[in-house]
Amino acid sequence: MSPSVVGRPIARTDGVAKVTGAARYAADADVTGVVHAVLVTSDVARGRITAIDTAVASSGAGVLAVLTHDTLPALTLPAVTSFYLKRFVPVQDDRIRHAGQPVAIAVADTLARAQDAAARVVVRYESAPPQVVLADALGEAYVPPPGSDGPNDYTRGDVAAGMAAADVTVEATYTTPLQHHNPLEPSATVASWDGDALTVHESAQGISITQNVLAQAFGLTPGQVRVITPYVGGGFGAKGPAWPHTLLAAAAARHVGRPVKLVLSRAQTYTSHGHRAETHQVMRVGATREGRLTAIDHVVTQQVSRTEELLFNSSEPTRMLYDCANVRSTQRAVRLDLPTGSFVRSPEAATGHVLESTLDELAVTLGLDPVELRLRNWSAINQETGAPHGSNHLRECYTRGAQQFGWSRRDPRPGSMRDRDGIIGWGMATAAHTAGGRPGSGATVTVGRDGTARIECGTQEIGTGTYTVMQQVGAQTLGLAVHQVTFLLGDTRYPAAFASAASATVPSAGAAVVRAATAARDLVVAAALADAASPLHGVAADRIGAEDGFLFVTGQPWRRVAYRDVMARHGAPISATSTPVPTPLGYSTGAVFAEVHVDPAIGRVRVRRIVGVFDPGRILNRQTARSQAIGGAVWAVGFTLTEHTLVDPHLGRVVTPNLSGYLIPTNLDIPDIDVDFIDRPDPDSPALGARGFGETPMTGTTAAIANALHHATGHRFRDLPITQDKILAALS
Amino acid sequence: MQNFAYRAPASTTDALRLGTGTGARYIAGGTDLLNLMKDGVQRHDLIIDLNRLPLHDITPTTTGVRLGALARMADVAAHPQVRRRLPLLAETLLAGASPQVRNAATIGGNLLQRTRCWYFRDASMPCNKREPGSGCAAQHGQNRWHAIIGGSAHCIAVHPSDLAVALTALDATVHTLGSGGARTIGIRDFYRLPGDTPQVETALRSGELITAVDVPSTGLTGRYLKVRDRATFEFAVVSVAALIRTGGGGVVREARLAFGGIAPVPWRSAEAERQLIGRRLDDAAIEAAGRALTLPAAPREHNAFKVPLVRRALATALGGLR
Repeated sequence: MSPSVVGRPIARTDGVAKVTGAARYAADADVTGVVHAVLVTSDVARGRITAIDTAVASSGAGVLAVLTHDTLPALTLPAVTSFYLKRFVPVQDDRIRHAGQPVAIAVADTLARAQDAAARVVVRYESAPPQVVLADALGEAYVPPPGSDGPNDYTRGDVAAGMAAADVTVEATYTTPLQHHNPLEPSATVASWDGDALTVHESAQGISITQNVLAQAFGLTPGQVRVITPYVGGGFGAKGPAWPHTLLAAAAARHVGRPVKLVLSRAQTYTSHGHRAETHQVMRVGATREGRLTAIDHVVTQQVSRTEELLFNSSEPTRMLYDCANVRSTQRAVRLDLPTGSFVRSPEAATGHVLESTLDELAVTLGLDPVELRLRNWSAINQETGAPHGSNHLRECYTRGAQQFGWSRRDPRPGSMRDRDGIIGWGMATAAHTAGGRPGSGATVTVGRDGTARIECGTQEIGTGTYTVMQQVGAQTLGLAVHQVTFLLGDTRYPAAFASAASATVPSAGAAVVRAATAARDLVVAAALADAASPLHGVAADRIGAEDGFLFVTGQPWRRVAYRDVMARHGAPISATSTPVPTPLGYSTGAVFAEVHVDPAIGRVRVRRIVGVFDPGRILNRQTARSQAIGGAVWAVGFTLTEHTLVDPHLGRVVTPNLSGYLIPTNLDIPDIDVDFIDRPDPDSPALGARGFGETPMTGTTAAIANALHHATGHRFRDLPITQDKILAALS
Repeated sequence: MQNFAYRAPASTTDALRLGTGTGARYIAGGTDLLNLMKDGVQRHDLIIDLNRLPLHDITPTTTGVRLGALARMADVAAHPQVRRRLPLLAETLLAGASPQVRNAATIGGNLLQRTRCWYFRDASMPCNKREPGSGCAAQHGQNRWHAIIGGSAHCIAVHPSDLAVALTALDATVHTLGSGGARTIGIRDFYRLPGDTPQVETALRSGELITAVDVPSTGLTGRYLKVRDRATFEFAVVSVAALIRTGGGGVVREARLAFGGIAPVPWRSAEAERQLIGRRLDDAAIEAAGRALTLPAAPREHNAFKVPLVRRALATALGGLR
């Protein structure tokens, strides 16, 4: 038997194209006659437009149009279920809901001329002082209706009784800041019309979402809209929903009768496609002296906009993770004059951070090792649904991670571990994120007369390795070698797939590929069995195996025939298409251990090493899975130590809308990251035993770092990011 | 970005002739100016590329090293004479920017880079430095990175250059050339506090060029300590350039202390230096120097942490020189 195709650490098949520049991203689309659109955005955060003067802008050389709410044709507001999250389309009326809202679109024959025209649009506003500080408006918090991530007002058991029964309780207030996605590639749209048919090259994490939103906005059928996205230069959630710039680019293209390209500026990405909303969180936990949780009461308050009230910092960890009979999770919203929030990589990270930090506080209070505390509260089941997980090897993650990290050498006393330059801190936390539980996808597998397969699926490649992994899944299921399979994605002409979001690509698109490939293989097997000249003729279909390009009789591998020969004799391609089946809700977990170093003289923090052991079911590709874990750790370092979007409290405007002001970690900020996997198939997985995994590794890592800082300093840092000034204040 | 004319003169005479026109601006490495122009923060009709001028050399002098205004940061930091005679300068240059930026950015351009104040760098925000009279949004806004010393009601932006802090400690001299002829300006007279004219940042006159910077070697022991919010490629929250000469018994004979990140200009503190002279470099002396440094501090809502931070940075830098 040759080794499994799935699991191999195959280098990503699109890697060479990406590093050589051959990969064509949305803005690279070669569309004849394309012209350029640039958005003019609001400088004020609240108010209305009293006048827009476009005369000078319109008179510039090469300027084709300067569109405002007075001149842009009306667009239909897409339904919220379409994942157009904003409850208004800008450039349709004079109202200003947030700073950065588009108020005009300049279109010209070159980018420079469009930018120049945009700069010459003069907008006058009647503005009111915006309210943008969450802390100032906590009194206005309310519980909004539930969104797609579960209830906002959840109770099981009796929390008061659970607290009363506790030997110890811990209560703490944490805050997490406004943060942004910052993908390398800013969102881009190239829209062209052919009559009522619209083609859009879009940097999208969900091409079917973009297709449906455009269809609704322009009163078209989805079939009249084609969205093409062969590559996405990072999304992290920014490109999951559809946002106004896509509609405005298409509207501008229709107006000028030419294909239009619109690329958001870096600054515009801070107001155009959502953010991780600022949170204020109060966590209370009660436990017995032995460390068994008796109650959890978690109140999360976060910013929403004036026009929407969807919450994305959702509290699944509180509801699902630990064995606790009495749990209350309250999610509250505060309306502020800021843009609409959305999901940012690992949306459960902000609430998970607080749960895992508070458990560390509880461990300190109890004098119990943090690993032991978690082992004692481990749950075999999803605590919210009561359903057993398909598989759950979290306990093994703790023990293996502790061993790999050397946790037993930890002196639990804060500040007790030092080196020549400063203080060492060791912390740990549980990583946990839902994966899947979302709509399904479809795929078409076509086996050609040469015995190779082509798989089409309307999913996306957002940098996670979808091209590579789905090729492996297809090859494994068909019994072909990896190089005999081609995987195509990013085109709405392929069977529709769910968005590349919510750690759902493997369970959703992967399952679609498995189903279609299984059906196609069965058809090929049937053709072989029916062929009197085949060595397989007359064998029962369930005795046929497929591997490495051959069909063979199980137990008699010498009785075999090549796919190529079967298909040549068959004489026509064989094709099968899977239809969407909703994906089960997976829960991928792990244990993360972090070492920090603190220079007590100036409060400087460096993360020295991170060890993560994860249980995402079966590993489909060890290399791309490891890259996901590394990426999550990098995000966690930024989340915990450096990243926050600052808003001026009086102007209501982002003052850090660029990578100079918004600090993401550099290579020098990132330590060695040691990643390991349990790698055991989840029997409930529809995708060869694999669960979704993309969002798990960031969770846990944030609290592991913060808990390590407590271990180093004896101070609990409850307000993120934990910048040097906060460390210094604690040490003074 | 608006359209502009571009010239690349081959002589300083031609450069100065072009540079006297209104709307003209010199460009060298372009690492700052291009961003400012793209963001609409600065608009210029004529860009005068200086790179053809013979101002690239790094030359040993009897007293130190002369840096041509067009010498690249990376080249200066790697120059054997600089590394041997001015290690503080090399250390400081390597603490700034990124390798890519250091390969392009010049010494003259570094000294003239504009503040990182975000209200300055967003053309649609109020900013007296960019648009006199429009107000200073930083006074009551997001001012974590702003000045605690030397600011005014009109501006509290800090100068972002690491190099300028080291040169201030090293008592460098800036050589300029203008239509009125050549001048030499001590680095401490080169930068101007904002007062009520924050748009005036240096002693340079309109159209005047920096041609070179003379950096004397001091024989003092020095260290540059840069505190920032991530490990690299980030401007200083606070920084310290410290130079010390001690005599018999470890008594400080000479001290030069310059600071970045705390003031609108590279901040030299004679008061702090005085606390060290004639004393051993012990904790009490260092503490006294820190207190003297921050005596005039007037922090705003979000930057009070800079007071203890700069004192601790000073203590750490001096501690390393003991």
